[in-house]
Amino acid sequence: MKRFSQLAVPYIAWAVMMLILPMALIAIYSVTEQGNSIISFTFTLEHYAKFFTDPDFLVVLWRSLLIALKTTVICLLLGYPIAYFISRSSEKMQNLLVLVITIPMWINMLVRTYAWIGLLSEGGLIQRLLSLVGLGKGELLYTEGAVLLGMVYNFLPFMVLQINTSLCKMDHSLLEASSDLGANLRQTFWKVTFPLSLPGVINGITLVFLPAVSSFFIPKLLGGGQYFLIGNLIENQFITVGEWNFGSAISMIMAVIMMLLMMAVRQVEIRNNGGKEE
Amino acid sequence: MKKENRTFGKVLMALVIVFFYLPIIYMVVFSFNSGKSLTSFTGFSLRWYKHMMESHTMMESLSTTFSIALIATAVSTLAGTISAIGLSKSKKIIQNLMEQVNNLPMMNPEIVTAIGFMLLFITFRVEKGYVTMLLAHIAFCIPYVMLSVMPKIRSLDPNLADAAMDLGATPWQALTKVIVPQIMPGIVSGALIAFTMSVDDFIISYFVTGGGVKNLSITVYTMSKRVNPSINAISTLVVVIITMVLLLINLAPVVMAKREKKAEISRKKQIVPIAAAAAAVVAIVLVMQFRKENSVLPYAGQTLYVYNWGEYTGENILREFEEKTGAKVVMENFDSNEQMYIKVANGESYDILVPSDYMIQRLIQEGYLQKLDHSKLDCMDKLCEDVVGLPYDPKNEYSIPYFWGTVGIVYDKTKVDPEDLEREGFDIFRDQKYKGQIYLYDSERDSFMMALKTLGYSMNTEDEEQLQEAYEWLVDCVQTMDPEIVTDEIIDNMAQGRKALGLIYSGDATYVMSENENMGYYLPESGTNLWSDAMVIPANAKNPDLAHEFINFASDYEGAYDNSSFVGYTSSNQEVMDTLSGEGGEYEGIDAYVPRSGNPNDEVFEYNDNTRKLIANLWSKVKIAASNAG
Repeated sequence: MKRFSQLAVPYIAWAVMMLILPMALIAIYSVTEQGNSIISFTFTLEHYAKFFTDPDFLVVLWRSLLIALKTTVICLLLGYPIAYFISRSSEKMQNLLVLVITIPMWINMLVRTYAWIGLLSEGGLIQRLLSLVGLGKGELLYTEGAVLLGMVYNFLPFMVLQINTSLCKMDHSLLEASSDLGANLRQTFWKVTFPLSLPGVINGITLVFLPAVSSFFIPKLLGGGQYFLIGNLIENQFITVGEWNFGSAISMIMAVIMMLLMMAVRQVEIRNNGGKEE
Repeated sequence: MKKENRTFGKVLMALVIVFFYLPIIYMVVFSFNSGKSLTSFTGFSLRWYKHMMESHTMMESLSTTFSIALIATAVSTLAGTISAIGLSKSKKIIQNLMEQVNNLPMMNPEIVTAIGFMLLFITFRVEKGYVTMLLAHIAFCIPYVMLSVMPKIRSLDPNLADAAMDLGATPWQALTKVIVPQIMPGIVSGALIAFTMSVDDFIISYFVTGGGVKNLSITVYTMSKRVNPSINAISTLVVVIITMVLLLINLAPVVMAKREKKAEISRKKQIVPIAAAAAAVVAIVLVMQFRKENSVLPYAGQTLYVYNWGEYTGENILREFEEKTGAKVVMENFDSNEQMYIKVANGESYDILVPSDYMIQRLIQEGYLQKLDHSKLDCMDKLCEDVVGLPYDPKNEYSIPYFWGTVGIVYDKTKVDPEDLEREGFDIFRDQKYKGQIYLYDSERDSFMMALKTLGYSMNTEDEEQLQEAYEWLVDCVQTMDPEIVTDEIIDNMAQGRKALGLIYSGDATYVMSENENMGYYLPESGTNLWSDAMVIPANAKNPDLAHEFINFASDYEGAYDNSSFVGYTSSNQEVMDTLSGEGGEYEGIDAYVPRSGNPNDEVFEYNDNTRKLIANLWSKVKIAASNAG
């Protein structure tokens, strides 16, 4: 039986090369002086200092976290009731609705985001609908609202599917027990259903927040060239400015922040499980 | 249990379905629009599908997307399953460690993973292209496959394989006859996730590709700046393909389950996705075969790699060049000289580049270009004298001009008072009267040119204080005027009169003015950038002969005419320029087409490494200031 363990050896080698080494390279670049080759590098922390001493960069970081937070909250508020609705439908309906939510995810993200440009641009469908209700002719495309919309549109399915999975896994007899013991619907929901669906909620939050913070094509397509998030800042360093070491430092900062946030979120889950990890 | 109130849920569900599908339906509908607009439907037509079929870039990106997805799915499913089985029998500590490692691409922001791959390939000098894209896709797909297979393996009885072997099975038989069938549902769902991830990927592909290899996402991203309904057409095609595959996967097992005995189902289930994949491969191979050319022509089977500005080539020139020579042209586009420089400096190989004046000077200085073989060129006497022998390459040893022009202000005559332009010049971009009505151009050089000229300095200044002043001018502009900073987006937006003013290249202004007669072009007396872009051959070009052939072709009357009349930029071919601007020419009476001469304040950019760095940093800070102000 043990001989099967050899099957993992090639992958371990591959993972060192393709997963660990790239991260190590970013780390090395981030503490290396600009223009040094990887063989003869000079250690420096100037790239980190540059980022943390400049309020402009910090504001970009803050705005990126904020918009990702807004996206996550909206996705949660919309996604939970939908997932709940799906999980309460008949099994046939459930499968159909899950398929309906899944199909857009299969269609390329860029394509789906591009589709919003036509809808949101001046004289487009959304603006015409809004002016029918008398909501004026404000600009829609190239605003923060458009970026937020694009993010919710792209990431909402992740939230719905995650929550739905954990709601479906739930043992329904618990709900009956709860109502037999005299709890009303609201109490049953907050005391039984919601806590049990928390793992799904947390997975959902992770799957929405993570890509939302680092997205750079949604802001570029729907926010316009002057809309800069941390992802755009990194792209810019690598594609047009050419300061890879500074870009690597920003990447490291972002990776660490995300790791800390995810660990914090996981803590909630662990506490919820009574201190035990799954 | 009490009955819940489900009306709210139903309404919300319906709204969300509308939200999810509205853009997709909108896109499908507008792919059949006869007009170019993305907002008003003028009639049914298939012209955008025709346009798509004729576009190399689009058809190839489609086959790249699906061939990469299929190979990556197959390899990662196989490798992921085998590794997961192996890992489940390894020591606990290795299992936990590998789980953490696999979490890296899943728990890291995607852009960080992407940059990691890019640095990896560049550090080890792996030429970026199809193979690197494929390797990266396999690398980020395997963890998802393992994540999906692992729980199934863990739920197996650990003695299962031993039992099989005790009964005389070889380890291979134990694996394929006992373990694999048990964990099949996990393998199938892992494969599906891998396929989705690969088809959907943009960020990682964008950073690891090269050599003109593009998947659908990259193509949409680079084309999205101009109004181009054929993007809708190709998107519709993708929607149709994906929906069919999905229906096949979801419905086929149901249909079969009804027909066959229960025991057969699990086996059939495996066959369906495989059959679907095989069908897709056949379709792709057919599409690729469809494009094969005959082989009697001089350069048959060879490829020319061109790295040019976006929206900078005529409608037919590439196809005609391919027909004449038998070679294949792969074109990649850039938004700025700086973006092009980074790729070239990192060793990516192209046969033709089309950089601007100061960048050519830099590339020559740093040894990235090769001298042209003038015995192979027959275009020198056709060129306009004003663009020959310029200071960046006085004897045209390295470069043959392509387009040239000025940088000025495009303005809507119905919204802008000409007196404001006369009085303020570029300072009109800080006139509160036009707040929220302006476009700036995302070019560090030309933005600083505008600021420096307004302040009365040379655009080639090396004085850091003057540059600082220009920086403050720009920051003031972006903080008080609420501008949009764009690149090619300005063209269609100004042609539709969306804003009053914009900083623009003369060639784009020519196009805008030919589309909308209310538009004018103004060059401030304080001077502007007299620029030219020229074709050069990099030192590491793989096919310099073919590159010389292309330079001749693009400088010749027909090629140059196609380029200039299609995109609106001023041709370096004297005859083409005279025809287009002369009586009955396409750009007759459009002053933006003929570059200004004789203003002593006009300058040509020169390269200086110190100011370059300073300007690059200051410009990205201007953009951040604009974003943070908004």
